[in-house]
Amino acid sequence: MAEILVVAEHRQQKLADVSLQILSKGRQLADKAGIELIAVVIGADVSGYAEELARWADKVLAVKIDTPGESLAEPCQKILSSIIKDRKPKLVLIGHSSFGMDLAPSLAVELDAPLATDCIDISMQNDSIVVTRSIYNGKVNAVYSFVPCEIVIVTGRIGEFASEESDRKGEIEKIDFRLEEDLGYKVFEGYIEQEVGGVDITQADVLVSVGRGLKDKENIEMAEELARALGGIVACSRPVVDSGWLPAEHQVGLSGKTVKPKLYLALGISGAFQHTVGLKGSEMIVVINKDARAPIFSVADYGIVDDIFKVVPALTQKIIELKG
Amino acid sequence: MDIVVCIKRIPDTADVVGIDASKKDIEKDSLAFKINDWDDYALEAAVQLKEKQGGSITAVTVGPKEWDDILRRALAMGADKAIRVDQDMVTADCYAVAKVLDALIRDLSYNLVLFGAQSEDFGCSQLGVMVAEMLGIPHAALAVSLQVADGRIHVSRELEAGMLESYTIELPALLTIQTGINRPRYISLGGIKRAMSKELQVMSLSDLGLSLDTLAPMVRLEKLELPPRGKEAELISGSPEETADQLARILQNSGIF
Repeated sequence: MAEILVVAEHRQQKLADVSLQILSKGRQLADKAGIELIAVVIGADVSGYAEELARWADKVLAVKIDTPGESLAEPCQKILSSIIKDRKPKLVLIGHSSFGMDLAPSLAVELDAPLATDCIDISMQNDSIVVTRSIYNGKVNAVYSFVPCEIVIVTGRIGEFASEESDRKGEIEKIDFRLEEDLGYKVFEGYIEQEVGGVDITQADVLVSVGRGLKDKENIEMAEELARALGGIVACSRPVVDSGWLPAEHQVGLSGKTVKPKLYLALGISGAFQHTVGLKGSEMIVVINKDARAPIFSVADYGIVDDIFKVVPALTQKIIELKG
Repeated sequence: MDIVVCIKRIPDTADVVGIDASKKDIEKDSLAFKINDWDDYALEAAVQLKEKQGGSITAVTVGPKEWDDILRRALAMGADKAIRVDQDMVTADCYAVAKVLDALIRDLSYNLVLFGAQSEDFGCSQLGVMVAEMLGIPHAALAVSLQVADGRIHVSRELEAGMLESYTIELPALLTIQTGINRPRYISLGGIKRAMSKELQVMSLSDLGLSLDTLAPMVRLEKLELPPRGKEAELISGSPEETADQLARILQNSGIF
């Protein structure tokens, strides 16, 4: 059957944003190729999600299962492999989320299907699928094709595809799925919210954000002085938290906070997508980094290509002077 | 507790500047190579488990001779043994590399297999979970904490926006390790020298019953391109004092302070 199949993900009563993003992309591809778009959603109670997905999809497969947790890889893999073997879609689209990373590679092996992950572009030309991936930490794009095959699995980068409104009324097919295999070897225990301290970077008008280029924990003080002069607070990218220089509540990005300050001033941050996806809504983005090719410059309004240890103390001084 | 840790050698991405004439690879002449950051955390997790539980650590990789340096480093960190499958597979797809690692690991003694959650160069985050499926053992990707007790492993996985989910998984199992799960120990040159007496075994594809024609990529690299520059930042140039002065005035005029 020539169709595109999108796997929707949900957690705590909400469809994942990335699911709607890849669904929109899937809709475009299906319309262009003149084929159907099928969405699959799996869970204990998926009727609400199914109605939402039917606004984009020609058909929604609403699969009811009774396993604890919501979007768990193992039961989803069993169900999806069964559906995919049966329907033989040309393209299976999954979000490159934590869920997708846990699911897609094992699904690809089970189906013996090629897999391209974390794609930033997907196109179908004359029956062949071509994808673009961002590699070497955003420095290079790589274009891939696939060997001739029945099914291709692609995971799409979070935040890369715009979720467009749609008001279709796709058909909803309810499926009761009985898992034959006992999945007792892996037991879901629950969700954990990361510890919250006293700092809320999402409420600040000015964020002075530091990255790996800060080199040492004691240099946090330099960023704090600048933040104080600007009336803002210090934020950071993931390596700063991983190194123990700042607590996790300061982290901006996919696994941290999404922020929209008036000013986001990035110091020594290279701009891995996992970071930039969390700051794109900032009103003004200023970057100071000695690597002129750092990907973070591509989201910046103003940039200074220089050593942060030379520019930042001078900047702090100048701001204090101007404030009088 | 016997642990296998799969590691990779990568160029420092901060130094990557260009694409070579073939349009299928980057210019590698002036690049420094090192262990993939995620794999360093996976090794540290293995060493910490061994310190608590006893057992052995085997570090494995698939790459040419130059890759011995990351295995020597792993041995210095606390691995007991290292194995390199002597085959350059940097341009292969993950599926092919997973087949090699599956053939290698299934003949080793293991309770736990650890991978880095992704690589710094290609960032596919596929390999570990593929190998788990091939070995027929349970897995969890993006582990940010782990404890072993009574033949089971208790794991937290990272989701998005600061959320985690936790599982108890029966061993043997495979985990892919996220950065920040620990603080990888510092490895000195002296430490690497002292570990030179540890065993580093080299195997070929044929030792594993494999050949290159069974490992042809299903995902084919067509070309590399430099990414479009996106919205172009307005660059402020001059000495540090000059750029600081200009930027301070821009911020003041924008009403930031």
